[in-house]
Formats: sequence, C-alpha cells, structure tokens
Amino acid sequence: MKNRLKVLRAERNWTQMDLARALDVSRQTVNAIETGKFDPSLPLAFKAARVFGLAIEQIFDDEQG
Amino acid sequence: MSQAPTETLQQRYKTSIRKLTIWTMAWLISLALVAFGPAFIWDYQTTVSVVAIVVNLLVGVQMIIANKRHLDGMDELQRKLHMNAMAISLGVSMVSGAVYGLLEPVRLLEQTPSPSNILFVMGISYLVSLVIGSRKYQ
Repeated sequence: MKNRLKVLRAERNWTQMDLARALDVSRQTVNAIETGKFDPSLPLAFKAARVFGLAIEQIFDDEQG
Repeated sequence: MSQAPTETLQQRYKTSIRKLTIWTMAWLISLALVAFGPAFIWDYQTTVSVVAIVVNLLVGVQMIIANKRHLDGMDELQRKLHMNAMAISLGVSMVSGAVYGLLEPVRLLEQTPSPSNILFVMGISYLVSLVIGSRKYQ
C-alpha cells in the first residue's frame, strides 16, 4: 500500500521520531510504513489521518483500480 | 476503537521491561531453589519441596502475565515481530523436541533427553527469528 507519510512529514519538518511520538509507535514502525514494508492497521491509519488533519484516502492509497 | 494511552510507548516499554525482568529473575531464583534446595538446604523434606514448587509455579504465572502485558504495550509492528518469532520458536521446539525425545528409544542417544535442551532451542530460535524479523523491517 502506497502512502504520503514521508511527504506530509517533510512538509511539517517533522523527523520520523516526531511522527512516531504523535502516533505512539516506534520510529522503526514509522520507517517501515513510509517505505511500504508494513501496512498499518485501520486504527493507526485513522490516527495518522487525525495527526495530519486529512482524510485516510488522502494519505493511503491501496493501489487497487 | 481503543482510547489513547496516557503513557508514551517508551514509558510503557520501560515499565513493562522492568517488571518482566524482575519476574523472570524471581522465577529463575525459585527454579534454582527447587533444583538445588532439596539437596543443599532442606535435606529433601517433602513439605518444603512442595512449597518451593508451588512458589515457583505462582511466580511463573506472574512472569507469564508480565510477558503478556509487555506484548500488549508494544506497537503493532513490534507485536507482529514478536508473534512471528513466537510462532517459529514454538514450531521449532515442537519439531525438534519430538524427534529429540525419540533419540534414546531408538538408541541414537545414550543419556535421557533433558527438557532444558528444548528450552535452550526455544530461546535461541526466538532470538534468531526476532533479529531476522527486525532486520526485514529496517
């Protein structure tokens, strides 16, 4: 699943650690999501959407159709 | 949906690791008492040995609860890594333990298989799986 976490984070000048703290996950988890190695759960995706003030589909793209 | 935790991930991790370490050490000490106490401390008195075993079991339950809480406090990727490592560790222990137990009856091993060797295999396979899993997501 593709996502815009890295871009959104860069726009706010946040480090991976800053985002990890905001999402209450480890920096490794943020990195794994950004690089597409790990797909977050629905609650974590909602949390990311809240943190960035966007809708889930503006951050995550399931690449289906 | 679950409520936001009041503690940060690092705080939860630190607290749960400390509790898990304490209960694991307590369990190891109580296990050592069961193993060596009868011969070196209380001269095989049945009542004392039974009490030592009950204490060991109770401390063991606390260690299991501490481990479960530690797992619950992790984030979802960490939990996935540990669950995968547990699955592999359980499978490796079951497969190797089953055949290891047969080595003596089929006369490929002279001494009686020791359960502690299975625990060793379990621990090593868990650690190796965890390291490999962590590297995969870096």
